[in-house]
Amino acid sequence: MYAMVAAGLALMLGVARLINFAHGEFFMLGAYAFWFAYRELGLPYPLAALLAPAVMVVFGVAYQHSVIRAILPRSWHVQLIATLATSIVLTNLAIIVLGTQPKEVPTALSSRILDVGGLRVAWQRLLVLGASLVIFWGLHRFVARTRTGKAMRAMSQNREACAVVGVDVQRTAMVTFALSAALAAAAAALVSPLFNIFPDMGTTLTLKAFAAVVAGGFGYVNGAIAASFLIGLTEALAGSYVSYAYKDAIAFLIMIAVLLWRPQGLFGRRIGI
Amino acid sequence: MRLALTVATLLFLAFSAGAQAPPIRIGFASAMSGPAAITGEGVRWGATLAVEEINAKGGVAGRKIEAFFADNKAQPGEAVSAVRKLADVDQVDVIIGQTHSGACLGAMPVVKEIGIAMVVESCSHPKIRELSGKGGNEWTFRVALDDEIMAYTFARYMARQGVKTSSVLAMNNDFGRGAATAYEAAFKKAGIQLVSTEFFDPGQPDYRPVLTRLKRANPESILGVILASDGAPFMRQFRELGLTQKVFSRGSLGSAEFLHQVRDNPKVGDGVIEASYWITGLDPEWDKKWTERHKIPPRIHGSLAAITLKWAVVPALEIALKKHGKADRKAIRDALTEVDVKDSPLGPIKFDANHQAWINMILIEMRDGQLRILEKLPTSPALLN
Repeated sequence: MYAMVAAGLALMLGVARLINFAHGEFFMLGAYAFWFAYRELGLPYPLAALLAPAVMVVFGVAYQHSVIRAILPRSWHVQLIATLATSIVLTNLAIIVLGTQPKEVPTALSSRILDVGGLRVAWQRLLVLGASLVIFWGLHRFVARTRTGKAMRAMSQNREACAVVGVDVQRTAMVTFALSAALAAAAAALVSPLFNIFPDMGTTLTLKAFAAVVAGGFGYVNGAIAASFLIGLTEALAGSYVSYAYKDAIAFLIMIAVLLWRPQGLFGRRIGI
Repeated sequence: MRLALTVATLLFLAFSAGAQAPPIRIGFASAMSGPAAITGEGVRWGATLAVEEINAKGGVAGRKIEAFFADNKAQPGEAVSAVRKLADVDQVDVIIGQTHSGACLGAMPVVKEIGIAMVVESCSHPKIRELSGKGGNEWTFRVALDDEIMAYTFARYMARQGVKTSSVLAMNNDFGRGAATAYEAAFKKAGIQLVSTEFFDPGQPDYRPVLTRLKRANPESILGVILASDGAPFMRQFRELGLTQKVFSRGSLGSAEFLHQVRDNPKVGDGVIEASYWITGLDPEWDKKWTERHKIPPRIHGSLAAITLKWAVVPALEIALKKHGKADRKAIRDALTEVDVKDSPLGPIKFDANHQAWINMILIEMRDGQLRILEKLPTSPALLN
């Protein structure tokens, strides 16, 4: 979950040089889109899980057009305030429009348990792991092989030079936002059957994903993915062996320690996806 | 002739307006936004329904009731702003709230400073009772039982069930920490060994790490201080990991709200025993109205806000209007000390010297998607001895 959200955040930072503090709300909206397709429309799970990212692609494009395009040339202060404000507005809109009643979307796999020598895990968790690996492989291929992916990589290295040689900068930024939103929605469709869906489910997630992006090397997608797994593991181990109440604090302390040790991040290099 | 008619009409209108007494303004403070917004939404729904009900019956002594709402975000600092908004901007005559213990404790000094009565519907931190009434804050009253009051009875019940060891898993806020302290003392008294105490932040998606800790500690039972919204993922993951401990709870794990959230597999809640003072079924008429309006089962905090209005505040308003001929802030505060309701859905409501009402305590068992009252116990200050 952290990895997919952090990968989207890293993509935006790498390509658009912008930290989208509303990214957790992409995840929240993706979860609600999935809930609507799965529970309200009664679509089969695979179809609903594909529909949610499709809906969020549209949302990502709309977000890029309405919010990002206006703030992209402005200072980072403006970008910070604008994306934070969007985050607050989206959360409270969700409270007003969708209500506070948690939505449940259990699938047949979420209560089916695999028991291997006393190690018990829900099949849905295995699906999350498997699907994540496939999605990351697809993302890697897209960025490495396709024309748009190459444009994204080029933009992450030198935006001005890209504009000079004819890369459609606005279109590439739009694709980046659409892709990031789709990744967040895919994560939501995969993990929501294990949890509840509620309006402020994305708030803490943004911070965790941001921590992963920072620890992974500021906009380096593979670094963000690796750092997300590290944060997830640290949280699980800290929650299991030190203190569950302070697991978040421990994860952030580790991020601070990483930055003190390697200010450029664990897999640090100059910004670039 | 035209002048005479105009004067007559104006006089008629003036007298009509005079005859219509202004409505009594009631403020409700709860978490309307943020992670705990589900409680505030419930309070808004419950209060709106109750006010409609009262006004449909003619109001209180002929005066209508008007509800105003303020958002405390379940935080002490925001609770101060909520009280000031209700008292200074909305000019309410009495406040019902604040749902969350931290917010209650934050609001108490302000209601005292302003001089407006606050009737607490559901905050269960023991300190609220200590500080109210003869404790120094003459403006705070509480209908809800606190965890110190309930802990001794619940711990004794657990001991009677043969529980020798238990862990506590509580929300990392004033409600959870207050309850954890109360149960630590109560377990000692009841001869139950407290194996470990764990805290969690509300809204967690993943309880597996803490469940792993509980599995390792291996107590005979777990006492969860947890609300239904967190309880649903918690119990699903409890079953996923194959834990077999007996689960006791305080909050709203054993509730219709919880069962609604796990309706695909209600058996995940089997065997949970909840200590509470409210459950669906105490007032079937209310349950019906709520479900018809909102299409989901009644929520605990909204129902408690409505009960507090109907069975504590309205009787106080009646006393104030009858005795003093007015329902200003001071008259309402004085009248609250005289409230003596014998048969509210929660049991008797009469505030003692600490402004604490000693309503009934209920033990509820959840099985096969059904809630069953195991015991309904009257409470009294003697429970604390």
